[in-house]
Amino acid sequence: MTDVFAGTTILEFGGGAAGPVATRYFADHGATVIRVESRQRPDFLRTLRLTPGAPGGLDGAHHFAVLNANKLSVALNLSKPEGVAVARQLALWADAVAENFAPGAMAKWGLDYASLVKDRADLVMISTCLNGQTGPERHYPGFGGQGSALAGFNHLTGWPDREPVGPFGTITDSLSPRFAALLLAGALFRRRRTGEGQHIDLSQVEGGIVCLTESILTYTANGEVLTRMGNRSRHEAPHGVFPCAGKDRWIAIVVHDDDDWRRLVRVLGDPAWATAPSLATPAGRLTQVDEVEKCLGEWTSTQDAGALAEHLQAAGVDATAVADFADLHEDPQLAHRGHFQSVEHAVLGRHPAETHAIRFSATAPRIHSAAPRLGEHTEHVLQRLLGMPADEYARLAAAGIFE
Amino acid sequence: MRGDLDGVRVLDLTREPGFFAGKLLGDLGADVVKIEPPGGDPARRRPPFWGGVVDPERSLLWLALNTSKRGITLDLDRPRGRALFLDLAGHADVVLETEAPGGMASRGLGWLALQAQNPRLVHCAITPFGQDGPRAGWRGSDLTVVAASGNLYSTGDPDRAPVRCTLPVSYYHGGIEAAVGVVFGLVAREQTGAGQHVDVALQEAMVMPNIGTAAMFKMTGNRGSRAGAFMRQEKSVAREIWPCRDGFVSFALRGGAARIPGLVAMVRYMDEHGMASPALKAMDWKTYNHNLLTQDEVDALSREFAAFFATKTTTELYHAACERNLMLAPINTPREITASVQLAAREFFVDVATTRGTLRYPGAFARSTAARIGIARPAPRLGEHTAEVLADLGLGAADVERLRAEGVV
Repeated sequence: MTDVFAGTTILEFGGGAAGPVATRYFADHGATVIRVESRQRPDFLRTLRLTPGAPGGLDGAHHFAVLNANKLSVALNLSKPEGVAVARQLALWADAVAENFAPGAMAKWGLDYASLVKDRADLVMISTCLNGQTGPERHYPGFGGQGSALAGFNHLTGWPDREPVGPFGTITDSLSPRFAALLLAGALFRRRRTGEGQHIDLSQVEGGIVCLTESILTYTANGEVLTRMGNRSRHEAPHGVFPCAGKDRWIAIVVHDDDDWRRLVRVLGDPAWATAPSLATPAGRLTQVDEVEKCLGEWTSTQDAGALAEHLQAAGVDATAVADFADLHEDPQLAHRGHFQSVEHAVLGRHPAETHAIRFSATAPRIHSAAPRLGEHTEHVLQRLLGMPADEYARLAAAGIFE
Repeated sequence: MRGDLDGVRVLDLTREPGFFAGKLLGDLGADVVKIEPPGGDPARRRPPFWGGVVDPERSLLWLALNTSKRGITLDLDRPRGRALFLDLAGHADVVLETEAPGGMASRGLGWLALQAQNPRLVHCAITPFGQDGPRAGWRGSDLTVVAASGNLYSTGDPDRAPVRCTLPVSYYHGGIEAAVGVVFGLVAREQTGAGQHVDVALQEAMVMPNIGTAAMFKMTGNRGSRAGAFMRQEKSVAREIWPCRDGFVSFALRGGAARIPGLVAMVRYMDEHGMASPALKAMDWKTYNHNLLTQDEVDALSREFAAFFATKTTTELYHAACERNLMLAPINTPREITASVQLAAREFFVDVATTRGTLRYPGAFARSTAARIGIARPAPRLGEHTAEVLADLGLGAADVERLRAEGVV
């Protein structure tokens, strides 16, 4: 079957993860995703770990490479009017435009929705930034780490007796691309059915807060501020992460109800501490959670995390070994789903890239090409796809527009 | 305004891990019908309860994530309940569920049966590990799928166990992922006329939040690590979460060229308060590259920022951040979030009327010039719309009463 977004073109402005990961959903299902980039202001992921003399320079950034597979790159110098004019042509030609610059940047170039829609009534465009396109704090310039803090995730992550920590990977940078993909798909669905376009304003902080609605309601309804509680649950015990044999090896174990507890106790070999009648109920286990966790941790500490997880699962207990990034490449389930797919990169050589977590019965997500070098496809996109005459292309190239 | 998914009918059989998926589809305009067992979803029995009153209509977990849905009860463990479900599926566009793999099929409601009933149906299943593969049969929940995703290992303090977010972020990630899968399925159906099965795995959904570092392992050799309120990058460890006078703020030294204007502005701000040392003021920011700093240099910089933050409140610092483009943010709790002037200006919070009173909710997860997005109706009371939904199948009040007596609804 044909890829669902074959023939769909998405033009992308911006960088980092919050915007660019969103368009990967479409690229992995056949869409042509074209990044508009510039050497004047490169995507920060191309420079994040850049040191002088690094192989490939802006094209050798692995962080950019793993997130931007399956895309084309056009280099346009947007500080020159002719560069902006080409960007505008591309935007009006594409099926959708996605951007995650600071609010106002696109307007400065006349590439904002209000300007573009005059020449394309059914334009579909999404803008995403931390605080949204309106409001007194719209220009606030933070990264994902700040979005995570503003939305309330950090406060809920960590140990109650210590300072908060961030969920690894600055969580609004991973929630936002999902929201953006959903909104963009919804907008394309609507246009196919009704012919209408739209401009979407996704505030990464607001999206994050909507996820944490339970925490907000607990405050607005009951005046209670939920606070981080390590790995514990308010409802059941044990619910935690326990040490295993080896250096920094751990297992996560979750008991959901009394049946789970009985299954776990059986695997433990019915020791006296665990068979105490006072532990037969959630209330009892929660009251004695310190002791339960201590005894369970002593039992796990001599065992191999992976083997123990298999053993507990075989007994029907919800448990997994805590995986590090190396372990994920050996994970049989991720391998079965084809999560990592290998691509050949011009500077970095063969490396894995990741796809999303959705498997369709009709079509599989496919990573067919490595992330582009900056401006790698300028000529291809402008001449072949957009139909720019060769002499016009040469003239603009000579004028430094493609830098 | 119409929603993007107006006219799309969703049958939502999910338990907690899938609540958010259905809510998002409802927020986008779909007619989402939540189907609960006659005793109610287990979430209705879970505290905290609104006002502390134990009541299936007052569970805050239930109320939080089931807005924008209608609700019916139906016992899928009874033949009549299954038959009614198949009838409903015949007129629906989407079925959303979170049963263990094989759970739907064992009731005769698996993908093949649903497809036979309605070839245009998009059937989306959310499970911990996916529908097939060596661990498809494994049990999983938020903590264990996050543990299996690489994301837990690098969250927390180095001297303690890896740690999760206290609310189940994998269910939010997986919920949005499933909603994406459903809409992709609907777009495909516009082209082919055929529905399909959409298999979403929570473990896999939690790999992406590592933002590429999992894939990068093959190039960097970085297995991940925990640094608590700090972050390790290249040669040094630097603070990301800083204590200030009345709480904590997030602020970083790393981030490449894009971060430098914020650092320059911060030093100027500190200098205005007489708290930037001559050495700090003499920094050459044009050549600043965090990746080249030694630990001693990071520590020297950090001491100055830490001393300054300790003199300021989170509110003062965030106010300055907005005015001066400092990349700094307070570690907000719901107290600060509900008092935010930015969110107030955007009319983000909405009051939702329920039969138990009015509740203040976070509103739309996005805005659109053309599409209605946001809470369309309160979370349903148990069985609130049973009669109304079954009426679509031609069942009258007497039929529904009989079903109720039989325990089917």
